[in-house]
Amino acid sequence: MEPIVVVLVFATLSASMAPIGVLPLRHRTAVPSAWIGWANALAAGFMLGTAYLLAEIALSGHPVRASVGSLLGIGYTYLSHRASGVEDVDLNQLDGVDPLYGYRVLFVGGLHGAMEGLAIGLAMLESLPFGILVALAMAVHNVPEAAILGSVLRSSGLGVTRTAALSVAANVGQILFAVIAFAVVPAIPGLMPWAFGFAVGGLSYLALSELLPQAYERAGPISIGLVTSVATGFVVLLRGLVR
Amino acid sequence: MSSLSPVMQVFLYGLITALATGLGAIPFAFVRSVSPRVVAMTNALASGLMLGASFGLLSEGADHGRFATLVGANLGVLFVLGAGRLLGDHDMEFGTARGEDARKMALIVLVMTVHSVAEGVAIGTAFAGGTTLAIMITAAIAVHNVPEGLAISAVLRPRGASIAACAGWSIVSSLPQPLLAVPSFLSVEAFRSLLPYGIGFAAGAMVFMVLVELLPDAFETGRRSVIALLVSVAMVAMVLFQQLL
Repeated sequence: MEPIVVVLVFATLSASMAPIGVLPLRHRTAVPSAWIGWANALAAGFMLGTAYLLAEIALSGHPVRASVGSLLGIGYTYLSHRASGVEDVDLNQLDGVDPLYGYRVLFVGGLHGAMEGLAIGLAMLESLPFGILVALAMAVHNVPEAAILGSVLRSSGLGVTRTAALSVAANVGQILFAVIAFAVVPAIPGLMPWAFGFAVGGLSYLALSELLPQAYERAGPISIGLVTSVATGFVVLLRGLVR
Repeated sequence: MSSLSPVMQVFLYGLITALATGLGAIPFAFVRSVSPRVVAMTNALASGLMLGASFGLLSEGADHGRFATLVGANLGVLFVLGAGRLLGDHDMEFGTARGEDARKMALIVLVMTVHSVAEGVAIGTAFAGGTTLAIMITAAIAVHNVPEGLAISAVLRPRGASIAACAGWSIVSSLPQPLLAVPSFLSVEAFRSLLPYGIGFAAGAMVFMVLVELLPDAFETGRRSVIALLVSVAMVAMVLFQQLL
């Protein structure tokens, strides 16, 4: 298989995990909000671990460019949240949701998806096993995201199948960015450390600003601390196996 | 220093790294206001530095032995859980602070002290491999102790500790370095096999302390975006710092 097709397949697989989050909505049963918190904590841990592994690769080659790149990634994510007015949006709301909330969730999801796709594409450039690991790690975050988006769609009367399909479609940015990153980044000389750094900064900021704060509110610090540290440690310790 | 016995040399180099930790208190000589927002921001700073440091430790531990690191990390998490509980049961006093503040201050000093054990072992085993390499490793550990002192002071200072107390507790937290460097220099083989457990323990304890104590507090009082900004910048800076050393 062509390498770029492999990237496409795994990024798509990662996006296709989203309907798992829609499943509990089939019976119109409410997902306990602590579960959303734990799922987000798991995703945050995987993101932080992935960010570290990417940082290690980036900083070992060109430390200065990579760190400036990560500052740019942090700054870009911070500013795009601020400018679009979603910096305080609670991504864990399941009841009392309105369409405006749905749009916001969709928008933030798009921002996340782009950064996640970038991470998958870059990891694939490093090695196939590392790319697969990152694709799986990013897939986890799509599940709680789809549960939230799904509950908005369901409460407006949409069927489960269409909700599930839309939850995958909402992640199309992730697939797109994975493929673009894989194809474009190596083609431009000297871009590599900047791009890796950018993804490091973006992922860390997302995990810390979007996922963790509300997870704490939903499930309390001890269980969130446990889930996140186990997830982070798991990814970092897998390093030797996948590189 | 070459006229001293090898054991004394190892001890003195370990002591130098410990004293370097005290330098981390210096920036806080200039922080006077201690509004809740400042506490949140210094919590975020400490969180970023500790997260960055633990990532480095985890991946170093994985080079020595993945399973041992994993076991160590889990023990570290349990240690923080247990210590947090125990400290919470007593009406704590730490300097002039009481209650929840005192608990947090005691916990960070405890966690950072325990984490220095692994660094002490690293210094001791390094000296067994030749003095030149060992001096480089000692210098590296000394320099990287400075942000650790910064992390400790970031928690102690806004809760009422004086600069001298911040520097003092920072140095105390690194005293296991000279104390453990000597026995690990004398019986390298035994300690080398324990190293990944120690590294894992240190990383697990720090990550969990950040996630369960420092970050939730920071998010409660500070603005989400500002906290996330500070933590991620401090984290990247620490990772870069370790890569350059």
